[in-house]
Amino acid sequence: MTLDLEAIRADFPILSRVFPSGHPLVYLDNAATTQKPRQVIQAMTDYYEQHNSNVHRAVHTLAAEATAAYEEARITISDWFGLEPHRLLYTSGTTEAINLCAHAWGRSNLEKGDVVLLTEMEHHSDLIPWQMLAKDIGVELRFVPVDPETYTLDMDAFEATIGEAKFVGCVHTSNVLGVRNPVERIIELAKTRGNGGDGAVVLLDSAQAVAHDRLGFDAMGVDFAACSAHKMCGPTGMGALLVSEDRIGEMTHFLGGGDMIEEAWLDHATYQPPPHRFEAGTPKIAEAIGWAAAIDWLSQFDMQEVSAHILGLARHTAAELKQIEGITVYGDHEGDLGSGAVSFLHDTLHSEDLAHFLDAGGFAVRTGHHCAQPLMRRLGISATNRASFYLYNTMEEADAFVTHLKGVIDRLS
Amino acid sequence: MDWGEGNWPASLQEVIDEFSDVFDAMERYEMLFDFASECTPLPMEEWCEDTRVHGCQSEAHVLCSLDDDGRFQMIGSADAQIVQGLMAVAQKAINGLPPEEVSTFPVTFTRELGLHDSLSPNRANGFLNMFTRVRQEARKLAQGAA
Ligand SMILES: Cc1ncc(COP(=O)(O)O)c(C=O)c1O
Repeated sequence: MTLDLEAIRADFPILSRVFPSGHPLVYLDNAATTQKPRQVIQAMTDYYEQHNSNVHRAVHTLAAEATAAYEEARITISDWFGLEPHRLLYTSGTTEAINLCAHAWGRSNLEKGDVVLLTEMEHHSDLIPWQMLAKDIGVELRFVPVDPETYTLDMDAFEATIGEAKFVGCVHTSNVLGVRNPVERIIELAKTRGNGGDGAVVLLDSAQAVAHDRLGFDAMGVDFAACSAHKMCGPTGMGALLVSEDRIGEMTHFLGGGDMIEEAWLDHATYQPPPHRFEAGTPKIAEAIGWAAAIDWLSQFDMQEVSAHILGLARHTAAELKQIEGITVYGDHEGDLGSGAVSFLHDTLHSEDLAHFLDAGGFAVRTGHHCAQPLMRRLGISATNRASFYLYNTMEEADAFVTHLKGVIDRLS
Repeated sequence: MDWGEGNWPASLQEVIDEFSDVFDAMERYEMLFDFASECTPLPMEEWCEDTRVHGCQSEAHVLCSLDDDGRFQMIGSADAQIVQGLMAVAQKAINGLPPEEVSTFPVTFTRELGLHDSLSPNRANGFLNMFTRVRQEARKLAQGAA
């Protein structure tokens, strides 16, 4: 079975948008956020039109419906990723999930001098929370270098340092390079050799991975994974920290307030068990429902096929771009794994200028440092243009993009 | 003078007229590329932390001053051509005006170039940051001169 792209595209109202210039939208900024199928939009609208109520708080019908939908969403999402629902902690996205990990686990389980091993490939969201922790409690940050020739992590350096590391934070799939890191090997080395052989705790920034990968969280043997709904057809402002059985009991509450306590007195309180202990305040109800709808929608596909389709588009585009004089492609798209992100730069045309000319033709691509400035520095650049594909993109769009880009370059040079 | 739609300085109006004949966004950007070479630049040797416009994807620098007659003068450069082209247009718009007028000059003039869709205010938009900065400097110069 191959993907029926016409049927898939018909589910996304925005994909039929035509700009006043007459150019149809060609959306190639999926690594930033994916578009939403009408099933997701409808599920969120239905919730607001028919069921809107606060959750966990009242006995009226709406409250019961809203609470049921919100908690059922957690089951749908946790089934998809392969863990128990109470270990899927709702957050506003990957960023908040990693911050939650740093605060709720890091602060109570790491101490001054402990080595936190990150990589040069990290998105700022898996860098800054640990910098903050380093400043606050004195953990020591170390970094696995990226080889600027192969665009891969220096695994020798990882092996050399892992013995000293108590915690490892690593991006599963790079938002800049499209490269999927050897996460199985990283987990295995961390568990067998980390922290002097006692095992290191591992977090995977899975923001990009979840677009095409169900993770199989418990089976992976990882401790934490952070992800965002909006990278997989779900709403923005929604995501989760996935937590292993071993770690959930080690986490202390972070945000305090309503919904997370069992009983409160003026001077103390007792707390709900997970997940609610970590979800203070009125939560993202419509967003949870929208995320579950996105997963229901994605469930009709074989994700390996989805992944192969996306990677096929990226590989084809990268190969075509490499043929264009003056263009450098950053990342390796030849392997069987990876994402739909293709970063590139022209040697004389500024990335921002190029983005305007691409936009003028209806092509939405990302420009900038992609919240990965240390990686940019390692590559010796300050920004790239990035085209990133998703399951609704077609080979015709990829070819039209390359043709338009060639036209722009010809015109300007 | 209250600058705004229908009442732009003559040198800016000329540019607006030139753009109004062109319907294709690609061509408009190309025109900005051409304008970039007309920009009175701030030589790269003079780029420093003080001249740097923050929040730009492109590297952009401006220097504002008053001439002998107390009129506003801005010179600037950017590594992205479109930002530099817009700087050149901005120079046509504001250089030679009293600094008080520059300090409130409407940024909406970019809309008249028909490029507002992709140049609308956002963090990635070097031009807006640049122009806001220029208006602030004009305010300071106006206060200093008074
Ligand atoms: C690799 C990676 N990590 C983290 C994030 C942050 O995700 P969010 O902004 O949804 O919190 C992103 C999104 O851009 C990403 O690509």
